[in-house]
Amino acid sequence: MAFDSITILVVDDEKIPRMLRCLILQKHGYRTVAAESGEEALKLLANGGIDLVLSDQMMPGITGTELIRAVKASSPDIPVILISGVNEIPADASCADCFVSKAGGPELLFKAVEEVLAAHGHIC
Amino acid sequence: MNDHDLANILMVDDQPGKLMSYEAILGTLGENLIKARSAREALDQLLRNDIAVVLMDVSMPEIDGFELAEMMRQHPRFQKTAIIFISAVHLTDVDRIKGYRSGAVDYISVPVIPELLRAKVSVFAELHRKNRQLERLNSELEKRVEERTAQLRENEDLLRERAELLELATEAIIVRDMNGALLYWNAGAEALYGWKREEVLGKSVHQLLQTRFPTEYGLIQSELAKTCQWEGNLIQFTRHGHEVVVACRKALKADGKAVLEINRDITAQLKAEDALRKSERLAAMGRVAGIIAHEINNPLEAITNTFYLLRDHPSLDEEARYYAKLGEEELLRVAHITRQTLGFYRESRHPVQVSISGLLDEILELQMRRVEFSNIHLEKHYRSTGTIQGFPVELKQVFLNLIGNAAQAMPDGGTLRLHVFKPQGKRTRTGAVCISICDTGTGIEPENVKHLFEPFFTTKSTKGTGLGLWISKGIIQKYGGSIRFRSLSLAGRRVTCFQVILPDVDLQEIKDHSFASMTVPLEDMAGGAIGV
Repeated sequence: MAFDSITILVVDDEKIPRMLRCLILQKHGYRTVAAESGEEALKLLANGGIDLVLSDQMMPGITGTELIRAVKASSPDIPVILISGVNEIPADASCADCFVSKAGGPELLFKAVEEVLAAHGHIC
Repeated sequence: MNDHDLANILMVDDQPGKLMSYEAILGTLGENLIKARSAREALDQLLRNDIAVVLMDVSMPEIDGFELAEMMRQHPRFQKTAIIFISAVHLTDVDRIKGYRSGAVDYISVPVIPELLRAKVSVFAELHRKNRQLERLNSELEKRVEERTAQLRENEDLLRERAELLELATEAIIVRDMNGALLYWNAGAEALYGWKREEVLGKSVHQLLQTRFPTEYGLIQSELAKTCQWEGNLIQFTRHGHEVVVACRKALKADGKAVLEINRDITAQLKAEDALRKSERLAAMGRVAGIIAHEINNPLEAITNTFYLLRDHPSLDEEARYYAKLGEEELLRVAHITRQTLGFYRESRHPVQVSISGLLDEILELQMRRVEFSNIHLEKHYRSTGTIQGFPVELKQVFLNLIGNAAQAMPDGGTLRLHVFKPQGKRTRTGAVCISICDTGTGIEPENVKHLFEPFFTTKSTKGTGLGLWISKGIIQKYGGSIRFRSLSLAGRRVTCFQVILPDVDLQEIKDHSFASMTVPLEDMAGGAIGV
């Protein structure tokens, strides 16, 4: 697939959901990097090579929205998608490029990723 | 006898010797003797003193006794002054004396017998004294009457003022006798119960108001008798049959013959408390729903992703792939349910693009499966998607409420007609959306028209909260929109239409989110649980 040049940083404190999210994105053709906390995500981002951040909202330590703000401050060109188990958009999530519900299924997630990438000039 | 009570005795004679002898005779009386040598002098003394009795000689030069008496009688002050003539007895004189009609008149013939003169003068002096005393008492009495009248008038003013104050009270203030017969009924009672004072005085209060007591009536009576007071909540009915809850304070009058009742209407307060409890329950439900959604959605996503990975996995044979597909489909249903229900209570604080027609379809998808809608024919006329900036949950609440009301108005079936279009009028803002919801149900009674958007007004007795339309109107107003309705008969069928106009405004500017925290449980809005 044409996506193999895209690397997505998947951030989630829970191991199995994080792993499965990485696997479906890989199956869809993306490269993935995993981080189990916001702090780890920021370190990985500093190494470069990340095209998109997909972060869970509810995490111990840095929350999803806090991570987004940090990403937007350091790397404003990297799009961020927020994923949450609660069927609501958190009050301070307007800084995210897109919000996805965990109940939406893989297709909705892929759609969100494609749209956000397209908006940031990635031609897939 | 004090000085004050001494009587003035005026003795009139032109002969000083006679005057001296009268003085000697009357001196023992101890009264105040005044001498006058002529009628003129006598008149002068009369004017200057309060004379009890005039003793006068008939025959005097210039003005004789009769003439003096005549002059005295013409003066109002002396008309009743006692006169004793001293005269030689002539029949003509006696006749003249008798001729005086008014006033005390007597005569003494010469030669004067001292005891007789003393006796007669003393009688008149005593009479005068008694008259003066009587006058004093009378004037004192008059003064007292005046004072008392003024006091009464003052009391009356005070009472009137107090009565006016009682009329100002918003509480119903009632006085009844020990048989329950009404003695007093203030303006507050008129306003609360709907009866005018003149209609209820004398009637039995508890029969009139169909009072329901929190405990046995006998217990209230005995507490009232023992402590002279009682407090508690009563349920009563107004003239128009509305049930009211009043906080009642009873007090027994000191003489034990009447009871004062002060009743404060707490119906709205109780309803508000009830609504608050419900909204608190809702907030708690919202929190629980959020937690449940999170707890379900996390493993749900993991399982969905697992099935996605299983799908088309090269190691699976056809049968295994079929099972994986079935599992994936069933999972979609679970995801759908969590999105539809658990996500309902919360929403973003930022407005999003909302398609009103999409929103209506979403509501109808759930509602039309309900048994209440089974005989209802649905007509949709969408001439626009009706997309505006808004908060989906709030808007959903408005239309769920209106559609729920329409369905409840058609228990025996009917037609539910929905229109969505862009109004073309000059007065409506561009981008506005007009939504009308019409039913062929029971209609709206004219007397209910003006109360329709009032809080706690409901025609559904126990089923409704009376908050649905009030909250809906509040939400619509927050959007700068409007809601109106018509209920009319067309070709023998009743048609009721609610029309909502929502402008497409920038809601980011609207800071007031009070309604977000005032949401009412959806089952209350629509009158039943949401069926999926």
